[in-house]
Amino acid sequence: MIGAAGTAAAVRTGRLTAAAATEQALADIAARDGRTNAFTAVTHERARAEAAAVDAAIAAGRDPGPLAGVPYAVKNLYDLAGLTTLAGSIIERDRPPATRDAFLVRRLHAAGAVCLGALNMDEYAYGFTTENHHYGPARNPHDPARMAGGSSGGSAAAVAAGLVPLALGSDTNGSIRVPASLCGIFGLKPTYGRLSRGGSYLFAASFDHLGPFARDVADLALAYDALQGADTEDPAQQWRAVEPVSGVLDAGIAGLRIAVADGHFARNGHAEAFAAVEAVARGLGTTARIEIPEAARGRAAAFLITMAEGGNLHLPDLRTRPDDFDPMTRDRFLAGALLPAHWLQQAQRVRAAYRAAVLKVFDEVDVILTPATPYVAPPIGQDMIEVDGERIPVRPNLGIYTQPISCIGLPAMAVPIADPAGIGVPHCLPIGVQVIAAPWREDVLFRVAGALERAGIVAAPTPAR
Amino acid sequence: MSTEFSAEAYAKAAAAAIRLPLDARHLPGVATNLALAARMAAVIEGMPLGPADEAAPVFVAGREPPR
Repeated sequence: MIGAAGTAAAVRTGRLTAAAATEQALADIAARDGRTNAFTAVTHERARAEAAAVDAAIAAGRDPGPLAGVPYAVKNLYDLAGLTTLAGSIIERDRPPATRDAFLVRRLHAAGAVCLGALNMDEYAYGFTTENHHYGPARNPHDPARMAGGSSGGSAAAVAAGLVPLALGSDTNGSIRVPASLCGIFGLKPTYGRLSRGGSYLFAASFDHLGPFARDVADLALAYDALQGADTEDPAQQWRAVEPVSGVLDAGIAGLRIAVADGHFARNGHAEAFAAVEAVARGLGTTARIEIPEAARGRAAAFLITMAEGGNLHLPDLRTRPDDFDPMTRDRFLAGALLPAHWLQQAQRVRAAYRAAVLKVFDEVDVILTPATPYVAPPIGQDMIEVDGERIPVRPNLGIYTQPISCIGLPAMAVPIADPAGIGVPHCLPIGVQVIAAPWREDVLFRVAGALERAGIVAAPTPAR
Repeated sequence: MSTEFSAEAYAKAAAAAIRLPLDARHLPGVATNLALAARMAAVIEGMPLGPADEAAPVFVAGREPPR
């Protein structure tokens, strides 16, 4: 499948119709999604209508938008008009269909993109694996016996499998960056408050971010640029001016101070996670190391706030129909509803103090590199894993490097190692690196990712079909 | 009086306080998660905080809409 930029260029110049691009993508999903189980709904009629509108605009001489005819799909916690928003649950299946698209879907529609459907996820976004009990697991395109990651697992799997060049997901504690790493694609979690969450099903609003996935940096930038915009309906959005990044991809890294994170980020994982970081650091010509202070406490604070907010959000259903929850999430939501107020308030005070400590680090560096995940995709159903000589639960540990970063809303991008086998990654599976910048400096992330891509160090590995 | 945390006993008492019927089948899983949460709480308990350390969420009385 050609990428988003290539599709848009072909459609805009009349070499390809949006209708043809859409039919090809729909046929591809029908033929191949059985392998990944990424889609929970395919919106054929909607896709054909949107494609026809793009082709009509071109025929009438109107600008069809920067994403003209580009197929995409969204995690099924985004509202799509006419479709019930499942958020990975069967509980929501009883609710009426959404009457309006989510804000970011409206942005992509305005840019000419074509929505092909809704994607699998962990129930209510509470997980890092997308082993969804109700809809089946999303499977990793590089090895269908392995996890796609989560909670935006369907989004990452669909993009990695080449079913769509773009997808949208959400990231509360790592739910874009973790599946991006395990599936070997690019995933962006912008600064907290950058992109509107209007019309998406919340999980833990203090940490909920939305963002895009793509197979190359230019496509990710195209999507991110189209997604920006002010929405008065999101109380957490900071109404900043649109700050496009497509123009900075070739700007290089001159002047950027880049360091690898030590401490918490240099343990708690397998050798391949650290080899990936070292490969990226070498490519960027840095040997500097820096400590992100209090990262373990930041992670613990995020853990507790997430539990409490999730438990509170779902308390009405936990009271009346607990057995309708996915067994993977139910007991955590129940426990979250019961946390003592002191733990939550202490976590919120720690969060603020931790943020203050980390922001000082950006006086010394502009970019921090960490692993994105502590290991490659585990087999579906695996419960425990050995790390640093200790047997620990495999699932929560997947977010050990992402959770301290979303806790304080820093912008971060997962970038995939182009040649995992070349750095000794087991089973030739993909793995990513987390690139972190100061708040509102997504442009820096894109400069770094662009430089790494040009150097051949990061790229989405192609899964065997 | 013991200050040792009994997750099951706490779960039952706290569930009653918020009118959450807690099925006995779910209790072991809830207790496991509360025990994990208690370990996380112990991690943040050690953070040196003073009276001026406010919580992260800051209430805003109103915002100017974007122009």
